[in-house]
Amino acid sequence: MGADPVAGVTGGRPVGVAIVDDHPVVIEGVRVWLAAEPRLRVLATGDDPDAVLRAAPDADVLLLDLRLHGRMALDKLAELSAAGRRVVVYSEHTDPQTMLAALDAGAVAFLAKHEGREHCVATVLAAASDRPYVPPALAGAIVGDPRPDRPVLSDKEREALLLWFQSMSKASVARRMQISEHTVKQYVDRARIKYTRAGRPAATKAALLARAIEDGLVRPEEIGIYRSQASYDRPTP
Amino acid sequence: MSTEATTVPAKAVPAARTPDGSRPPVDPAAAVAAASDRGARIVAVGIALAWHAAIALPAALGAWAELAAPAVVLAGWLLVAAVGVLAGLRLLRGVPLPAWPLAALLLVVDAVVFAAAGERQLFTAANWAWGTLGWFLVVVLWGRRPAGLVAVLVAHSLIALAGVLGHGATAPADLVRYAMYVYATSTLQVGVFVGSTTIARLARQRAGAAAAAHAAEAEREAAERARRERHARLTLVSGAAEEVLAELADGRADPADPAVQRRAVLAAARLRRLIAESDDVPDPLLHELRAAADLAERNGLPIDLVTIGDPPPLPVRVRRRLADPLTALLADARGWARLTVVAGPDEVVVSLVTPDRAGPDTAGPPGDDGRVEYLYERDGEIRWAQTRWRG
Repeated sequence: MGADPVAGVTGGRPVGVAIVDDHPVVIEGVRVWLAAEPRLRVLATGDDPDAVLRAAPDADVLLLDLRLHGRMALDKLAELSAAGRRVVVYSEHTDPQTMLAALDAGAVAFLAKHEGREHCVATVLAAASDRPYVPPALAGAIVGDPRPDRPVLSDKEREALLLWFQSMSKASVARRMQISEHTVKQYVDRARIKYTRAGRPAATKAALLARAIEDGLVRPEEIGIYRSQASYDRPTP
Repeated sequence: MSTEATTVPAKAVPAARTPDGSRPPVDPAAAVAAASDRGARIVAVGIALAWHAAIALPAALGAWAELAAPAVVLAGWLLVAAVGVLAGLRLLRGVPLPAWPLAALLLVVDAVVFAAAGERQLFTAANWAWGTLGWFLVVVLWGRRPAGLVAVLVAHSLIALAGVLGHGATAPADLVRYAMYVYATSTLQVGVFVGSTTIARLARQRAGAAAAAHAAEAEREAAERARRERHARLTLVSGAAEEVLAELADGRADPADPAVQRRAVLAAARLRRLIAESDDVPDPLLHELRAAADLAERNGLPIDLVTIGDPPPLPVRVRRRLADPLTALLADARGWARLTVVAGPDEVVVSLVTPDRAGPDTAGPPGDDGRVEYLYERDGEIRWAQTRWRG
């Protein structure tokens, strides 16, 4: 994950995390994963997003199970994202449509439940600083996005996403593409940033984009190129 | 793409020459409608030519002396016969005709024959334009809208009226005869024409509905079979998972025991793959890969199979080249395996990743046969095989 980018955002204090899931065993599992990381602190857990956020209004990141009590919480996700809540969706429903719908609704990241501790910690840390993190399952969904109005990716971005999805090893992707691991991550992250222009506008998308420009990941004029491609004013399909 | 994967020259397979095998599907409804229409065409052509040869010609020859210009009447007969034979042949072969020019030609002949028949033969069979021309118009305009035929028949009856009036046959009896002739020589033609069009349309509709019902039924059956298979596997997998969980809960199994951990990993991978299967009607490529994954799993290999998108219909040869190198490698994999498919309308990429280990390569040589590219490499961390088809 490189140098600690989180400290700058939270002023040195640990990142506060709230967990929403309707299965206590999952909450316990994720809590154990996150507890091993000193930069993270779980502030509240429960099966109702509103109640959890009332208990922890200062949470930096909300880990949200997309299916709560048998219903897909996409509307709730859109509402929270519009209000600027950094929501990391994590779900066992990893069909590409659901993942892309979550991004459209404003989720900062999408994590498949089976992707494990390492990806979970990395995703939450990146989300806390409004930085993209693309776990392999999400990379697959983006590279296979069949929608006609999908953001336009460069060949290198597509290839990096595809190989990352296949191998789950950035080192192997770097060797295959003959570039550095850092550049692999840049290609993958740039593709993710382009998705901030798809679907409804949300405060979280604006924050991701602003941070990407600040970090030099994308240039403002590049945003102009794909602004015309994005369905900015249209509601999500 | 890669430098580590050596590219072997294409084998002696003329790859680009193989047709896709994806012919445009024959529309069964259209086929049924065409078959039903063919009978009516034969009837129409048969009536027109038989009437023209058996009734009109003897009558015209028999009244030769009484016709105003017998040679013109005969020439018109020959011209119409030629048009009729040509149009009939093309109609029966299903070759389109220049309908309107031919109809215009027939109407011109119509007017000429009426003029050449003369006053005395105006209402006899020797003026064959009455009886046979309508049938030839039906043949020439076959398959067009009925309104077109009606318009041309109206023109035919106006020409006849002009002929009747031109020959001075204005007595009430003549006009009544004219009206009867027009009625008798138009209604049957319109009836046959409209009737055949309607029958063909109904046949098409019925065949279309039957074909749609067939397709829906076939899809339902395939979906039901897939569901049953999935259900059977779920029962099997749940059993294995429940067993491990029960043993863990009872304290009979130790979570720290690598064997127990491996059983748990296997059961989880199986459940995950079942959850990930979302297609109702299995694609042949995914079916092959799943079968290979199932086989590897039965040998104790935890394997993830993740598919994104739906593969387009692929020729068997392409499908083999996509799947075979990876299923061969899978048989030899140890530890774990990740099999992925990313498919779009014009690209399918299949990849297998397994941990690298010492030992010889069992992979076939990488290559590119022009349509399916095959890459294989090992970097000490993973063994990575990828096949890629571009449409």
